[in-house]
Amino acid sequence: MISCKHVSKTFENNGQKNEVLKDISLEVAENEFVVILGPGQCGKTTLVNIMAGLDHETAGSVTVNGKQVDGPAPERGVVYQKTALFPWLTVEGNVGFGPKMAGLPKKERKEKAKHYIDLVGLSGFEKSYPIKLSGGMRQRVGIARAYCNNPSVLLMDEPFGHLDAQTRYLMQEEVERIWSQDKRTVVFITNNIEEALYLADRIILLSNCPTTVRNEFKIDLPRPRDYISPEFLKLREEISKHVETTE
Amino acid sequence: MKKKFQNSKTETVVYFICSLVGLLIVWQLAVSFTSLQKVMPSPFVVLGFIGQSLTQKIGGKILPLHILASLKRVFVGYFLACIIGIPLGILMGCSKTGKAIVKPIFELLRPIPGLAWIPLAILWFGIGETSKYFIICVSAIVSIILNAYAGASQVDQTLVGAARMLGAKPAQIFLYITLPASVPQIFAGLQVGLSSSWMAVIAAEMIRANEGAGWIITTGMESGNTVQILAGMISIGLVGLLLASLLRLIERGLCSWNIQGR
Repeated sequence: MISCKHVSKTFENNGQKNEVLKDISLEVAENEFVVILGPGQCGKTTLVNIMAGLDHETAGSVTVNGKQVDGPAPERGVVYQKTALFPWLTVEGNVGFGPKMAGLPKKERKEKAKHYIDLVGLSGFEKSYPIKLSGGMRQRVGIARAYCNNPSVLLMDEPFGHLDAQTRYLMQEEVERIWSQDKRTVVFITNNIEEALYLADRIILLSNCPTTVRNEFKIDLPRPRDYISPEFLKLREEISKHVETTE
Repeated sequence: MKKKFQNSKTETVVYFICSLVGLLIVWQLAVSFTSLQKVMPSPFVVLGFIGQSLTQKIGGKILPLHILASLKRVFVGYFLACIIGIPLGILMGCSKTGKAIVKPIFELLRPIPGLAWIPLAILWFGIGETSKYFIICVSAIVSIILNAYAGASQVDQTLVGAARMLGAKPAQIFLYITLPASVPQIFAGLQVGLSSSWMAVIAAEMIRANEGAGWIITTGMESGNTVQILAGMISIGLVGLLLASLLRLIERGLCSWNIQGR
């Protein structure tokens, strides 16, 4: 469970103040899939970094499972837009990295990594280096790596932003499948309405700079969803009316 | 373009041989038809001399043993430079204050060629082996340090963040992130350092020695033996090339993750 209360973040650069997040309050229930939908380049990654503990809010507070976030912790897993895989480690090495840090013996680590590599559909690529994989496959490794550390919370920061349209659809379906098989509390960032609608239990719509919470939509469509069902398209139209254009 | 070769490896080898043969032909033609013949022996005389000196002694030793003597010096000096330089460079890269204090010193040392240390080395250590080791070591160490430093200080902070999120402690981040991330840069420094130390040993031997590849060149000069000088120079070139290739091979084994393609 995640709870952000009145979170604000201001960056200071040579005396110039740049307010990025302004009074953001939101709650994410256990095993809920929340998509944070926001336009432009403003603040979404900062919000994820604050929830992760890699950055600090200038005002307000963030708690995860009732505890104040004050630094990185393995209970929160992050999936990055640019994958952030360790290029010198194989798929197996990347996925098993967290358990290795925790001191799990090699054999158990391998079994655990194998389980999540299978889950994301990468069996047979255990010994491959990231450089040899396609964008979609790298992102699968990123998801498996986060999962393998057994976090209660998964933070996904525009994970499919760099993928081509076709792969992106495929990965949305994969994330839905993986999450349905092994549920976690998920915060998923995107600027793509369709992606948000396909994945979310609830969509939190953000405004542009400084970022505030603008709106919330509970999505009750049955899973897996159909991108072209009338209900889906109707919701898509409704939400797009609320999205600020950046122009 | 039409593909002429089965794969790029054979292509490289074929062109390599072509360029060597071409060089020999141009050299031979120049010697046969121009006044260069007064100062320059034909390549086949030089190659013949090299072949001969594989079994016949020059000043008490056959050519391979002279080269071995030079190699031994390089390995001692270079090894010293590695075991001091790599850790020092990495430490500089990890600690901001350490870097701020130490880096200007090396930036100043960098443009001083290893050979400029020869007079000081002789005054400090005499003309024996120690001064040669010292010269080779200082020639190699600066680029080794600066590259290891660059590698350790340019580690992608997103990767560090990712490792922290996965539960890595500072010592684990150093061991599992900073070190492997710096390896390609460290090797770039080792490569430059190795060729510097090979150059340094030749220079050091030319000043004062009684064996080694540099010694062959100087004695060639002293006795007016152009063939011997050229033979020495060619062996130096070949050995230098061999050393660089060897290191590249090791690097390829260690950094296969960094190489695109198959």
